[in-house]
Amino acid sequence: MGEPAAPLRSPAQLAWERFVSRGSTRVGLVVIGLIIAMGIYAPFLSNEVALVWWDHHGLCFPAITELFNQRSYAKLHDLFFNVAALLLPMTLLVLWCLRRRVPQARRVLIVLMVIVGGGLVCSLPLIPRASGMSAVWEPRAFSQATIQRWKELPEHERPFALFAPVKHRFDATYPGATLLAPGSVNPSTGGTYWLGTDGGGHDVLTILFFGARISLTVGLVAAGLSFLIGVVIGAVSGYCGGWVDLLLQRVVEIMMCFPTFILILTVVAMLDRDIFIIMIVIGLTGWAGVARLVRGEFLAQSVRDYVLAAEALGLSRPRIMFRHILPNTVAPLLISLTFGIAGSVGAESTLAFVGLGDPTVPSWGVLMEQGRLNIRYPWLIYTPGLAIFTIVMTLNLLGNNLRDAIDPKNQR
Amino acid sequence: MLAYVIRRLLLMIPTFIGILIINFAVMRLQGPTLVEQMQASSGKGSEGGGGDRKAQGAAKDVENYIDRFRRAGLDLPAVINLRGFADQDDFANRLQGALANGIYKDKPSKRNELEKDLWLAGPQGVAPLVAVLADDRLSTIHAPATVALSYCAYITIDRLTLEKMPGEQLQRIQGRNEVLRNNRILYQNNRDSGALVNDAQAAEKRARLLALFAEPQVQREYAERAGNALGAVLFHTGFTDFMSKLFTGTLYSESRKEYVFTVIADRWHVTFWLNTLSIIIAWAISIPLGIHSARRKDTLEDQVTTTGLFVAWSMPAMFFGTLLLYHFCTDSSGAKAWFPSSGLSSDGAVWLPTGQYLLDLLWHAFLPLVVLSYASFTSLSRYMRANLLEQLDADYVRTARAKGCSDDHVVYSHATRNSLVTMITLGSGLLADLFSGALIVELIFSIPGLGWLMLDAAIQQDGPLLMGSTVISVSLLLVGILIADLLYGVADPRLRSRYG
Repeated sequence: MGEPAAPLRSPAQLAWERFVSRGSTRVGLVVIGLIIAMGIYAPFLSNEVALVWWDHHGLCFPAITELFNQRSYAKLHDLFFNVAALLLPMTLLVLWCLRRRVPQARRVLIVLMVIVGGGLVCSLPLIPRASGMSAVWEPRAFSQATIQRWKELPEHERPFALFAPVKHRFDATYPGATLLAPGSVNPSTGGTYWLGTDGGGHDVLTILFFGARISLTVGLVAAGLSFLIGVVIGAVSGYCGGWVDLLLQRVVEIMMCFPTFILILTVVAMLDRDIFIIMIVIGLTGWAGVARLVRGEFLAQSVRDYVLAAEALGLSRPRIMFRHILPNTVAPLLISLTFGIAGSVGAESTLAFVGLGDPTVPSWGVLMEQGRLNIRYPWLIYTPGLAIFTIVMTLNLLGNNLRDAIDPKNQR
Repeated sequence: MLAYVIRRLLLMIPTFIGILIINFAVMRLQGPTLVEQMQASSGKGSEGGGGDRKAQGAAKDVENYIDRFRRAGLDLPAVINLRGFADQDDFANRLQGALANGIYKDKPSKRNELEKDLWLAGPQGVAPLVAVLADDRLSTIHAPATVALSYCAYITIDRLTLEKMPGEQLQRIQGRNEVLRNNRILYQNNRDSGALVNDAQAAEKRARLLALFAEPQVQREYAERAGNALGAVLFHTGFTDFMSKLFTGTLYSESRKEYVFTVIADRWHVTFWLNTLSIIIAWAISIPLGIHSARRKDTLEDQVTTTGLFVAWSMPAMFFGTLLLYHFCTDSSGAKAWFPSSGLSSDGAVWLPTGQYLLDLLWHAFLPLVVLSYASFTSLSRYMRANLLEQLDADYVRTARAKGCSDDHVVYSHATRNSLVTMITLGSGLLADLFSGALIVELIFSIPGLGWLMLDAAIQQDGPLLMGSTVISVSLLLVGILIADLLYGVADPRLRSRYG
């Protein structure tokens, strides 16, 4: 009784400690962090437009302005990442300032406020103007502060300018740049193709950077959607039981039996090859496993005493399901989510690999297809292949370690 | 045991029906694209000006699209068909409304939509449209009505009718299709001038057309095709059409110009043999591997195997396959290509003696087999390992060890046998796997199997082909699950006793 009490830690904290204590987890987290950073800061890693441009007009940051020019992004997810690129440093700064001074709960609140506030500020250009279009959707002229212009200027007139390490745009096709080997120089921009070019004349390294955005978006949106559906169906099925359960189990069984990839293939081929349609189709077809998992967890939980207590209090069914039982099933769900993200990323790139990807976005899978079609150019095989392999393996690794950390008894 | 089987079978029926419904729903997705194609071709015709030949060609194009629609069952409403109840007034109102809104004059896209709706009525629209045409008061809409009638009354001659129908009747139908086509061309150009009939011989032509449809034989024929309006509500729909085609084996693949099941029958053996071999290889390697690493649990060997298998599991098949193709099938890495890069046999290999032929086949199939089987190593051997470890903890193993059985005997005769029983679950998907195309591998190594067929069908938007093969694969999966359940019953006496 007299011994000093160890600080009390919740099971979640214990599991987190077990999770992070593994070397492989830390490596995996760093890799995922790098991929996310690569996706968010892709426009600063590879851009024709200068990062800093200082001439007699004054100092400007064309790359940041270009983040909100509709011509510089193809799809909505790019806008999201562009906003994140500005918000991330702000959030980190606030977090750093608040290091120890404020209790954790308030720190989270302040960070959330910073994110929401910054997001609002960033979305100001989205507000429609009198002309009917918002500043973001109104295509503006490209910034003139590009590497090409800088090279054209006579040497004494050149302003001070700082360029991205890779001086290419992901959607630009440069004349005479098809299937160049790594290390070739682009005459029009003076930039080096560090990883060569593909069959369409795009810079492979640039696609590698921007492809991270696609993979991350697909992973989150598709896996998130299948989780949403799976959790709701599994929860209702497991908690309500009876004929509802019987009916929903048939639906789950149908989805289980269906050859999922063929379904995705068919639907994508019949509809537009748009990356968001692809994400949604992958999400809509992948929920059966989650539903089965959640149902099992709910069946196990619904006989527990706390559920009985909640029922005795007369709480509504949705409240019991989603406020009381669901938090108790978070652990297996988290594991499954990690594998789900890996699976969605794999499904998207496989779809692109067989030629049904969205040709308008820079995706790793589309690059991989280029490698298959131009089999003699190894940089087209290794670059996207290693990228997909890395992200899938890291996610699988994290999922594995998470499982071991959450359920140490089951570890073999 | 019988009760158990029957219970399983009964539960499978709703699953199977559900899968058919999803199949059908996905197949209906292709409708809009076909309509766009059709409108594009009919638009070409109306621009006209290229003379009679061009108009004939355009009219035949439209007929081809109608044929495609009918063969795919897309001309019918999905689940409930109320077209039989549309009468003369409905058609007349629709056409007059279109005329009043100026659709014919200056809204070509809306006009196309309207025409599509009208021709979709098929034989069910023939009688009301003839009535519209016969009514003198409706002379303003006689031109669009003639065009619509010519679409509705057009009869598709497909392979089945060609085989079955007597020649005389066939000739009559072809003749009538021709007459309708000429009428359509005649009035098609009128729509641009607001669908007004300004033809001098219009009255005569109309009388001839009416006379054609006044023949009792013709009327009977169309009435037969249209069916009873009440009965058609549920039994003359896209869904019943799909079902009847599926179960009579007359699903027609548009891209291959062949019945779906014939196409699949021509292709299945390649996929079947590749999959059989790869499954044998996968099980033959991973089961011993699983047993081995379970016995050496927590040794360095086990950890190395675990890590290696984990990496193999995360390796995308497309990356692995393309890598193998690049390094071993092309001469790009400096050395001569070790393996052929495409196909399953060399040119003229059929003339080789059997032994050499088999060697040639193996030479071609080696890399595809590697890519096909490596992915299942991990899941199979991990499952086996976990299972065996569970069994090795069980009481009966301790008893066996206590009575002095050797370690090998305990592992192989007692524990492995019991853990193999649980492996039956993994085996339930095998039957379907045998026939499901390995798309990635077939694409990389250019093997003409079912996977490639499916991809081709998807790209060409060939719904029936995709759905036919999906139904086959799902049926096999269900049969596989049933067999696995039966095997469980055989292997596990507890299950047998529970269901009596």
